[in-house]
Amino acid sequence: MTPSSNPFRDATRFERRVRPCALVIFGANGDLTKRKLIPALYRLAYEHRLPPGFAVVGNSRTEMTHEQFRDKMREAVLEFTEETPFEEKIWNDLATGLYYDSGDLKDAGCYTRIKARLQEIEHSRQTGGNILFYLSTQPSHYRAVIHGLGVANLAKPGNGAWRRIVVEKPFGHDLASARELDDAIQRVFNEEQVYRIDHYLGKETVQNILAFRFGNSIFEPLWNRNYISSVQITAAESIGVEGRGAYYQEAGALRDMIQNHLLQIMATVAMEPPAAFEAQTVRDERAKLLRSIRPFTHDEVRLNAVAGQYGPCRVGGQALAGFREESGVNPEAQTDTYAAVTFTVDNWRWAGVPFYIRSGKRMTKRVTDIAIRFHSAPHSPFQTGNHDSASWAGPNLLVLRVQPEEGITLRFLSKLPGSGMKLRPVEMDFKYGSSFGMRSPAAYETLLVDALTGDATLYTRRDMVEASWEAVHPIMEVWQNTKKEFPNYEAGSWGPKASDEMLGRRGHSWRVP
Amino acid sequence: MGTTAISPSRILKDLDALWLSLGEEQQHEPPVSGAPGASPVLRACAMTLIAVVDTDDVTVGETLAMLVRSHPSRLIVLTVTSGDAPSLQAGVTAQCWMPFGKRQQICCEQISMSASRVSLQEIPPVIRGLIVPDLPVACWLRGRNLIQTPELDGVIGLADKLIVDSGGVADLSAQIGYISTHEAGARRVCDLAWTRLTRWREAIAQLFDDAVGAERARRLERIRIEYQGAHVPMSAYYLAAWLRHSLARSLKVEIVRVGDFERARVCSVHLAEQATDVSITVTTDRDVQLHAGARDAHTVFPRLSEYELLREELSVLGPDSVYESVIAAVPALLAESEAAPS
Repeated sequence: MTPSSNPFRDATRFERRVRPCALVIFGANGDLTKRKLIPALYRLAYEHRLPPGFAVVGNSRTEMTHEQFRDKMREAVLEFTEETPFEEKIWNDLATGLYYDSGDLKDAGCYTRIKARLQEIEHSRQTGGNILFYLSTQPSHYRAVIHGLGVANLAKPGNGAWRRIVVEKPFGHDLASARELDDAIQRVFNEEQVYRIDHYLGKETVQNILAFRFGNSIFEPLWNRNYISSVQITAAESIGVEGRGAYYQEAGALRDMIQNHLLQIMATVAMEPPAAFEAQTVRDERAKLLRSIRPFTHDEVRLNAVAGQYGPCRVGGQALAGFREESGVNPEAQTDTYAAVTFTVDNWRWAGVPFYIRSGKRMTKRVTDIAIRFHSAPHSPFQTGNHDSASWAGPNLLVLRVQPEEGITLRFLSKLPGSGMKLRPVEMDFKYGSSFGMRSPAAYETLLVDALTGDATLYTRRDMVEASWEAVHPIMEVWQNTKKEFPNYEAGSWGPKASDEMLGRRGHSWRVP
Repeated sequence: MGTTAISPSRILKDLDALWLSLGEEQQHEPPVSGAPGASPVLRACAMTLIAVVDTDDVTVGETLAMLVRSHPSRLIVLTVTSGDAPSLQAGVTAQCWMPFGKRQQICCEQISMSASRVSLQEIPPVIRGLIVPDLPVACWLRGRNLIQTPELDGVIGLADKLIVDSGGVADLSAQIGYISTHEAGARRVCDLAWTRLTRWREAIAQLFDDAVGAERARRLERIRIEYQGAHVPMSAYYLAAWLRHSLARSLKVEIVRVGDFERARVCSVHLAEQATDVSITVTTDRDVQLHAGARDAHTVFPRLSEYELLREELSVLGPDSVYESVIAAVPALLAESEAAPS
């Protein structure tokens, strides 16, 4: 019997419970573990959402005792847990289940030791043989780990237990390498066991797009080419590469943000309604949308994609280095620290509607939002002489704010008080904070619980990953073969001029978030 | 306390003044970081919550202060005073808190009213004018003496959801009649005695998650519920009704007293079939022993405060089909136990 067919289950009331299990983190000495995974686990423990006996086995090359690992993770919780007080007792309960085994990921003995540790834990902490493996290593180690798990026979459970694996992005560095990685994974794990994490999909506000679209009846009739003229998705960061220059130099904004996070957001905004909020149906619809993105020819790339790189600048009395001056970065680097793309979708709902997507580093401020721009009113009766007091203010705009201040804003026109019919844009504003006093769970909390309970709805599937690589593949090809005039935007700006021109060709302009 | 004319418009004006003063107070504080021009006080409201309390209720304030953090509301606290003389009073305050790690205060407004029983009929028109438009309205009848008070029907009639607590109630037939009557109306009723069972129900459900459990569920024949206390608690009937409803079979039910406790409570549930026995037993105050065939496990049912129970209930503002089925099944169970030889 599955939990969903258990006659005693009450979906209205029962929290999703994580059944006894162990989590194995490869790359446990890395930044992701310290900044995100362990703080998320502490937060789940704080909310009593982890099962008794829950265990974590950390692995990396660094030699460490269990105690040293626990101390290090305690420091991480103290430093990186937000909006939650540190309680010694809760930490101690969690820490008793933390173990550490160092080892070289290419060494078969590493997996034998982990296997022995897991067997010991299964007995001592009653984890039932359920294991979630988490690849938090450098992507170059993924294949070694997957192979090692396969050889050690750790991927296939027995006795009704489960085994799953979470794979962090990047899922390859292009379409071919993504396929190779997926082939390697699927030689050891079935697709149902694989959880490819895109933490943007775990954000409450991104999930709320589905609630907003499919929980209300008033928006969906407008959600098409007849009413929407364009969609802008912006993910801007005010910071630079922050010590990740060497990695970022090989990635760039197109690969690091647009290929995964922003195309997933676009799919969420534009997908068809799923029959049910279930992993298979929701992911089918996302995948369908991603496959409907019109592929560019090389000539079209030049008109519909803009690469940028920030140069040095002084902002507020502070000198900011250009990308090429950052540590670990080649002074001739051709890396895109900014990318903007105009995608179109070949289906009845969206034909002809441009989806403008941009992402950049060292921009004016940190903001991620989605702006749905509606068509202008077909006729304005508010003309006085030559002045149309409605048209200057722009059309209706619906903004879904992902960060930092989560919420939804609808811009519409209203009459200015006083004589005459002068119109001004005003906003209806929904803020998460004012309707729900409780904190929103961090993306990693949501996604960890999902993986531990076997819900893959918010994880990406092989076909989704491949479809999104296919969408950006022609852009990558053109950019790789073009010497770009970098730097082409100042730190603290909204990106290169060419990006404004790209929208200008369609009579649009970037909004200032 | 004397009688004062209280009107919704006057109270709403007082609320406006309150928000103004809160904003002015905060102007003297250091500016909030983040968005320029951000207000230092965030007004939060997702529903109207009417709490009807007894005059001597001194702990409700603390519960409500906690509750608005998870369910920001316009709170209307109606205290029913003793005495026969007509009496009406009203005042406004704010419940404010600083979320951990944030620098912006979140505030909810609270309207406190008091009325003697004879003045209660004058209250619904006032509350009607104070309800936040287009958002849900919940009414929590906290005072134990307030259940079955017909003068409150007008106030209850304003709510989409009525929250009562049958814990400690001895006359179960009257109580279930009261709940059923309100349930039959347009509003939803919930009972904190049912909310307390969520942990029990989850524990029972977990015992049937796997294939062995599934087979066992099909073979179950008897339900035995043990309780401690001077009378059968409502929760015993709720559990029995839920088990029958879940299994869609009219299993034989035994409800047995096994000891004393200051407030009647369920202490053990046994589900039996021919081969094995499944049981959940509270061994001490919170420790719980789970037994299913050869498997034994131990867990803890955290002692839930009223705030935690209400937090769960206010998260379920829509229909609760399971509880509705249980409510419909309890009268038959009560009739069965009355008919059974003592």
